[in-house]
Amino acid sequence: MSNRTLGLMMGAVALLIVAVAVVFVLVLSGGDGGDGDDTPARPASDSADRDDATDDRSTQEADDRDDGDRTTGGICGENRLVTFGDDPATVFDPIQIGDASTAEYTAEIFGGLVTLNLDLEVVPDIAERWEITDGGHVYTFFLRDDVVFHNGRRVTAEDVKYSLERAADPANFSPTVLDYLGDIVGVRDKFNGRADDISGVQVVDEYTLRIELTEPISYFLQQLTYTVAYVVDREQIEDDPNNWTRRPNGTGPFRVKTFRPLEEIVLIPNDRYHLGPPKVDEVVFSLSGGSLSTRFQNDEIHVALVPAVELAGVLSGESELSEFYRPVPQLSIFYLGFNVNEPPFDDPLVRQAFAHAINREAINEVLFFDAAVVADGILPPTLPGYAEAVTTYPYDPERAAELLAQSRYADDMPRIILTFSGGGGDPPDNLQAYQQQWREALGVEVEIEAIEWSAYLRELRRGTFQMYSAGWIADYPDPENFLGKLFSSESRLNHTGYENERVDALLNEAATLGDQEARFRLYHEAEQLIIDDAPIIPTFWTISHYLVRECVQNWVDPGTIVPKYRYIEIDTSGE
Amino acid sequence: MSQGLAGYVIRRLLWTVPVIIAISILVFLLLRLAPQDPIDSLLGQRYDEEIAERLRQKYGYDRPLHIQYLKYVQNLFQGDLGVSTKHGDFSVAEVIIPKIRVSAGMGIMAIVLVFGLGIPVGVYAALVRGSFLDPLIIGFWLLIDSIPVFVSAVVAPWLFALQLGWVDLTYEGVLHPNIILPVFVMSLPGVAGVARLMRASVIQVSNEEYVRTARAKGLRERTVVVSHVVRNALLPMITAIGLSLPGLFAGSLFVELLFGIPGIARESLQAVLGFDFDVVLGLVLFGSVLFVLANILIDIAYGFIDPRIRITAARGG
Repeated sequence: MSNRTLGLMMGAVALLIVAVAVVFVLVLSGGDGGDGDDTPARPASDSADRDDATDDRSTQEADDRDDGDRTTGGICGENRLVTFGDDPATVFDPIQIGDASTAEYTAEIFGGLVTLNLDLEVVPDIAERWEITDGGHVYTFFLRDDVVFHNGRRVTAEDVKYSLERAADPANFSPTVLDYLGDIVGVRDKFNGRADDISGVQVVDEYTLRIELTEPISYFLQQLTYTVAYVVDREQIEDDPNNWTRRPNGTGPFRVKTFRPLEEIVLIPNDRYHLGPPKVDEVVFSLSGGSLSTRFQNDEIHVALVPAVELAGVLSGESELSEFYRPVPQLSIFYLGFNVNEPPFDDPLVRQAFAHAINREAINEVLFFDAAVVADGILPPTLPGYAEAVTTYPYDPERAAELLAQSRYADDMPRIILTFSGGGGDPPDNLQAYQQQWREALGVEVEIEAIEWSAYLRELRRGTFQMYSAGWIADYPDPENFLGKLFSSESRLNHTGYENERVDALLNEAATLGDQEARFRLYHEAEQLIIDDAPIIPTFWTISHYLVRECVQNWVDPGTIVPKYRYIEIDTSGE
Repeated sequence: MSQGLAGYVIRRLLWTVPVIIAISILVFLLLRLAPQDPIDSLLGQRYDEEIAERLRQKYGYDRPLHIQYLKYVQNLFQGDLGVSTKHGDFSVAEVIIPKIRVSAGMGIMAIVLVFGLGIPVGVYAALVRGSFLDPLIIGFWLLIDSIPVFVSAVVAPWLFALQLGWVDLTYEGVLHPNIILPVFVMSLPGVAGVARLMRASVIQVSNEEYVRTARAKGLRERTVVVSHVVRNALLPMITAIGLSLPGLFAGSLFVELLFGIPGIARESLQAVLGFDFDVVLGLVLFGSVLFVLANILIDIAYGFIDPRIRITAARGG
């Protein structure tokens, strides 16, 4: 070929290709190519050049990094927390929120009369103290006089009243107001359009608010910690009814700096926060970017989740990530639910046989690397009111077979379908394991069906499933939130159709009992009765597996929605 | 532009209207007739018949289908694509435009990379055909092409971020160097296709009589290759580039998911899974308009490069 220029150009391209190929092969064969790197670690950026560091922190040269110990400099060199989050399912309007991830952000931006501390106890927030009178029917809240919205406006009892009435306003379609505030006198009337205000909420004076309840429920303060009871700024909402949620003017420890859906949420401190302002300069919730654990290893993020494939190694202490591992029990449970009104599960013996037939310990060990906790009850161990004495049906295949033989359906087992929410592909491993164990212990063939999430919820409501796989996460830390919501015959979330007079009586009595210890005892009795009747088989309590950089101090996950980021400090000293 | 071409373009543009209408009706019906209910999905476990009913009224889902559709079209002509049920008070335009920007930005980089590498590689492979270099080069790019994106999108971060430390994986915007890795991952597999197309095209053109004539005239080989062979061989590339345009805006799902890039593919998936009606509809309409426009652009570009096509077009073909 006589064309030299073109030939040269093409030659250069070919050379480039070969070079890339060589690097590829070298690196792949070399394995830990980065470890031999002996360039000095990047110096810790001090506060003087923090702004610069923020601006070009990711244009850092590659050779500034090495794999192992990066506590000096890197992400620990700045007083900002970088963590991950889920894209909010709704806007930051406290009364619209039904999901945990949006609630987490909202809890940092807003506040209510009361809040939860890290031990899940109800503590004062906007209300300094409160009195409970009339046998638990009337709550009088005395507000602090130093609470301000982010824009500096002082919060008064009128703001609280406005916020509660806004939540109950039928024009606002709050999906949670009846669940959490429905026990306040007048909320239902307002929600159904029969009243203009909530008669049970009265402003006594500028800093005193009186709330009257229809029933003296003892978990009312717990309910008040949920987002639907948060205080919002009337002026902001009336000025900008459509867009105020983008920069909400709340009373919480943080303000929204930026919110870009699918990208990131950045919160900055409210320096006038009445319970003590946050200690970090920023909290970044990263909603985008590559694999969390890779970014964690690459020193780009403070907090990550352990990926499933790494879990065994991390738990055994063999992984280099083990030193960052933080298991956090969640206030949630997985279970298998039965339709107790349809064959064959209208016979308690069949349900009990199914419960005895599954070996949850083996499933936990083999499939979950012992990373979950076999649910020996319904209430999770970290929930206030948990009782160790409550037990579930142990794995006992012989007993299971006996129970089934005594049941009505011993010789005539109808077709059984277990439904779960999911897409195509194989069902989750644990469901297949149950299927196998039922087949072996009982000789019963259970079919597993997937159904799309919104259809799953709809059919759950209609009670069309024979048997289903489900989970429940606490909205507020009280046994009522599990037992009352899922098993009271009056609850609309009772999807099994379970009805037991004794259980109902216990739940009703416990709901309004003032003495906490006595109340928990009633719940324990109800819990054991429910488990014995087996409308559900509790399977596992969940644990979240976190990785947390050691420079992050006071990092906790209480397992439910609690404002928690104001406690966090970043140790930038590089210790 | 000749009058004939202008008329041709206008005719083509007018034809897009019925096409878009047909697409919108089809997608609208598919979405509305699907068994899923966006209100179900929105309310989740908090579902309450009364609230659901009010929300249906708010979004107009309680009205007859044709009324819903006409209302949609009416809003469309006012530039209103509707609102996202998933993102509360965000309008569809607000939801999708930032994502289109991200995907388009990455797409343009990818196009430059794919064709910038693929065309020279293809030309070179054609020029050295017969020697061992030809199969070696094409084979190398085919090897790259045969690594699925969901593999390279996992291996590449491990290699270039963790082992080599060249890049970070945090998404910092489409103009930030962190975007290089995902752009490479989504582009490199495309190089083989372009290179092979270019190679075949160059070989075909080299056999044309006018190339022989050019050589016979005693033109320098360089002039022959650059002005006669490569220029004419580029013609199919126009189609290839044009047809890849809408695809680029569509984004690359695996890359966007595995690198967590807030682009149009990730948004589409979320919108479909969450039954965010108006967003899905908006995305489909956007995609179809883009596709139709890209086709028109290709035709026009052809006219500029190849006068024969322009003449045919002017005659009303």
